[in-house]
Amino acid sequence: MMPPSNSRGTATAAAQRPQGAKPVRVRRLHLPQKLRNLELFLLLIACGINAAAVVLVQLGALGHVDTTLVLLGAGLSVLVLCMHVVLRLVARDADPFILPIASLLNGIGVAMIYRIDIANGDAGWDSSAVRQTVWSALAIACAIAVLLIIRNHRVLFRYTYVAGFVAVVLLLLPLVPGLGREVSGARVWIGIGSFATFQPGEIAKIALAVFFAGYLVQGRDSLSMVGKRFLGMRFPRLRDLGPILVVWALSMSVIIFQRDLGTALLYFGLFLVMLYLATGRLSWVLLGMTLFLGGAIIASQTLEYVNGRFTNWLDALNPDVYGASGGSYQLVQGLFGLAKGGLIGTGLGQGRPDITPVPQSDYIIASLGEELGLAGLFAILALYLLFVARGFRIGFAGNDDFGKLLGVGLSFVVALQCFIVIGGVTRVIPLTGLTTPFLAAGGSSLVANWIIAALLLRLSDTLRNQPRLVI
Amino acid sequence: MSVSELTLLVLRLGFLLVLWLFIFGIVYALRSDLFGQRVRKQQQDAAASAPPVAFAAVPTPVPAATLPPAAASATALTEQLTARPAAPPARSGPERATAKNATRLVITSGPKSGTEFPLTSDSVTIGRSGDSSLVIRDDYTSTHHARLMLWNEEWMIQDLDSTNGTFLNGSRLAVPTPVPLDTPVKIGATSFELRR
Repeated sequence: MMPPSNSRGTATAAAQRPQGAKPVRVRRLHLPQKLRNLELFLLLIACGINAAAVVLVQLGALGHVDTTLVLLGAGLSVLVLCMHVVLRLVARDADPFILPIASLLNGIGVAMIYRIDIANGDAGWDSSAVRQTVWSALAIACAIAVLLIIRNHRVLFRYTYVAGFVAVVLLLLPLVPGLGREVSGARVWIGIGSFATFQPGEIAKIALAVFFAGYLVQGRDSLSMVGKRFLGMRFPRLRDLGPILVVWALSMSVIIFQRDLGTALLYFGLFLVMLYLATGRLSWVLLGMTLFLGGAIIASQTLEYVNGRFTNWLDALNPDVYGASGGSYQLVQGLFGLAKGGLIGTGLGQGRPDITPVPQSDYIIASLGEELGLAGLFAILALYLLFVARGFRIGFAGNDDFGKLLGVGLSFVVALQCFIVIGGVTRVIPLTGLTTPFLAAGGSSLVANWIIAALLLRLSDTLRNQPRLVI
Repeated sequence: MSVSELTLLVLRLGFLLVLWLFIFGIVYALRSDLFGQRVRKQQQDAAASAPPVAFAAVPTPVPAATLPPAAASATALTEQLTARPAAPPARSGPERATAKNATRLVITSGPKSGTEFPLTSDSVTIGRSGDSSLVIRDDYTSTHHARLMLWNEEWMIQDLDSTNGTFLNGSRLAVPTPVPLDTPVKIGATSFELRR
């Protein structure tokens, strides 16, 4: 590149990006961290709402306030404030909304899980709420580590194929005899001994997003330029179908061997969206959806558990299906809960969300819908909407293609996961077991989603640090 | 300590209210992203940048003969959109700007003409939004207006469906187009060129 001329030096100084001039550097030290101060303000409100949620749960369910509040409320607040301080030091231009939104969702989740614990009579270290707080601590520590280690997202581009390999290994881990655990039919867990279970597929989705982004940046020309026009769309050549068929085969094997419909849909949807983003061709989306729907229909005819899911979805209120073992009892109980909640809910701690099986993980949305009502559920959906919109926005404003694809891919994975699980609980699509990001009880999901938040923060910081000129 | 039904009702309504206030607080803080950046008046801009200390005007390194008339009047601070001369006829064989031969982007007309901006291998986003690499805040610029990017080592400009269009050498862009060196690209009341 050209050596910096005098005029360029002044132009960059005007854009508040000092590169060498000493007086400018001094001025930068005194620049108020506007974005971080906004973040702190929102974060304090979010912590306040989290504490209020725990207090309301105790007032509603116990009738008094006790000291569990200190552990649950303050523990999470201290952690997210730690992350805020780290952001002030290493990513001062990062997006100010992601951390408060993630903290609020996490806190509401902890409050709801605590509420279910009260109903089940769990307390101390047996209770899921305490475990969820500990997992949150671990997840936020991972997020801080990501922020500290990855100083520029383009480092990840170098590890494209390593990420792909890691994703495949993580996906295969639950199938290893002795290590894999089968929980309610799905073989997606690993565990050592009787405790410490982990769902490696959650981490695999991040590795896959990195791999897809890197791969598509390198190989998208042949995927987007050539092909025959048909029905007003340019369809790819037969030999370019390789990647999409490989990912399709991967998703289908997840359906068959791990018996997990939701995860398969998540991975394939992620690949499809990133492919569309990289090539701008609708024909890929049509092709992919045809492939997946074809596969899913064949699976629903041949695989018993997929068939059961479809029956429970289409014929949920039939007494035979409702009463059958593995039938729609859980789904319908969730719907009853949502109906009981009505517009403003029964109030935290005053409903009966514990009637639904697993109300703290898969059905946490139904539990929240019962106690916070439609108004509260829509507030939570709005929080997800804002989170995902920030992610898309970060991807959109990015200047390098890898960052663009990665930002949109990571936030789309959160959006798709919300759609799959909330759509399943509200009977829009067949129910498949996935966790609601940030809310549901489950350590692996928390760790994965906090890492996604950290990566988005890192992306937004590098993005704002590009040379800029304001006219 | 027990709480009455009424207190609980008030508390739970209050909780929902605070939850929504938080969301609207975020949306309010995001308003410039959702509804576009606030427009500043062009005259104030020109007045603000009148002391040219921060923006050293670049002596035009290209011979005036190779420049179209628009760029020749580069130092005019308050050039109006309507006052622009008609586009010159296409010059014979303008050299395309590539990653190798173009090193900077020079503002040739508008409130900050003379300012320059280093080109790297990254694309340059142009628009009113604060995220853009080149932020132009006037009445004619869209939030995400246009993008300069490298395709096969060649600088291309793409209009991002802007309201008032992007003009390369006087003609409005419809598709991503290669940018020749020293040719004015006009966005709103600002023109710039890619130079060696």
